[in-house]
Amino acid sequence: MSAFHRRRAAVTGIGVVAPNGTNTDTFWKSTREGMSVLDRITREGCDHLPLRVAGEVRAFEPSAAVEERFLVQTDRFTHFGMAAADLALEEARIGRDTVAQSPFSLGVVTAAGSGGGEFGQRELQQLWGKGSRFVGPYQSIAWFYAASTGQISIRRGLKGPCSVVAADEAGGLDALAHAARAVERGTDVMVAGSTEAPLAPYSMVCQLGYEELSTSDDPARAYRPFTTGACGFVPAEGGAMFVVEDEAAARERGAQVRATVAGHASTFTGASRWELSREGLVQAIRGALDEAGCAPEEIDVVFADALGVPEADRAEALAIADVLGAHGRRVPVTAPKTGTGRGYCAAPVLDAAAAVLAMEHGLIPPTPNVFDICHDLDLVTTRARAADLRTALILSRGLMGSNSALVLRHGAAE
Amino acid sequence: MSRITLEELSELMKKAAGVTVAPQELQQRYDSGFDSLGIDSLGLLGIVGELENRHGTQMPPDAERCKTPRQFLDLVNSTLMAGA
Repeated sequence: MSAFHRRRAAVTGIGVVAPNGTNTDTFWKSTREGMSVLDRITREGCDHLPLRVAGEVRAFEPSAAVEERFLVQTDRFTHFGMAAADLALEEARIGRDTVAQSPFSLGVVTAAGSGGGEFGQRELQQLWGKGSRFVGPYQSIAWFYAASTGQISIRRGLKGPCSVVAADEAGGLDALAHAARAVERGTDVMVAGSTEAPLAPYSMVCQLGYEELSTSDDPARAYRPFTTGACGFVPAEGGAMFVVEDEAAARERGAQVRATVAGHASTFTGASRWELSREGLVQAIRGALDEAGCAPEEIDVVFADALGVPEADRAEALAIADVLGAHGRRVPVTAPKTGTGRGYCAAPVLDAAAAVLAMEHGLIPPTPNVFDICHDLDLVTTRARAADLRTALILSRGLMGSNSALVLRHGAAE
Repeated sequence: MSRITLEELSELMKKAAGVTVAPQELQQRYDSGFDSLGIDSLGLLGIVGELENRHGTQMPPDAERCKTPRQFLDLVNSTLMAGA
């Protein structure tokens, strides 16, 4: 490797634990088919709450994926994280032997927005039901936003730079960018992404104050961004983890370079100030394109944030037009998350996973449950659309005001 | 008051720390470190808390600092016997 070689971050593994699939293959097939798995919430203790529809991960058996020693210490969001990290590392063909050879050159970064609500609720019920002596010591770490990073690091022996991004939903994209920067600065491999589990009764009550939350009880109508029927968003659990490493090193070891992380930027425009998010997204997209050295016309597909709030949808459609100009009306836009729900920080990471898979398959997945678009966008609906995809733009906004844009390039050798 | 047996410690390790070590194996590894058995400091703290709740007796602060099953059982049993 020449001293002048600029390191570039490549995605070599993707692990998905999502409402529509608990491995990458099933996730892609369901996403490609535009299958909606939104459904009435079945989680125990939730039936009296006004939040009725969500994207639950029903095909996940924690004890089949993770050792009991780690299960007792951790919340469901970390169970998802450990399982997704395993899948991603396996896909990247990075085994325990590889890690053991140079543990300090592999790190972890995750983003988290809701923390370990289910675990925390159980321990708080012990506190108020039986007394403080009945609260287990793992409560001190399991609820915490950083828990997944820490436990993935411990369980897989990854001793390099570890961090957690607590930056609202858009933090999911920021975590992938953080991993890319760590790789560019010299870390060999980063395991990066986000998983969330916000569907315990306590966590759900915390969300009820969000005016953007959809309280519709019809799974087919609860989350329909970019339509006149938009009535908010539907939450979800699950997420994805990526393996990000230096592109040249990946090619040298014969790993498949699935995509490269080309550019990223993030901005902040304030909680629920959706009109202002237009300018916030514009600046984030411009920053990401600049870093990627990418002209607006090079964007082949946009994975929209698609909040499902009319004012926010309008701001996003206008932001795409502002930056991409005439190309903004031609470029295909999609929001597969309308079929799975919006897993907070995990939502844009699943979009990034779908974007990599879309580029590999030359197929843009559709936006389930959305048909009647009331914005000037070429939104892909009903069925997947074949297209030659080299470059994808992924957008994300958080309820608290963060906006992020990420540019991914197809991984085929240039 | 009854002594804590290896069987009970084995059961507590599973309940509080998710670590399965059969009593016979625990007997063989009586002087192994808790860390090598897969029990970290919070796991041992959980075992102590569970014991205290079951037996209605406070354990000395040193209980959660014990390094091996032998040290731990010696300490908690002498505490239980002294309180009996």
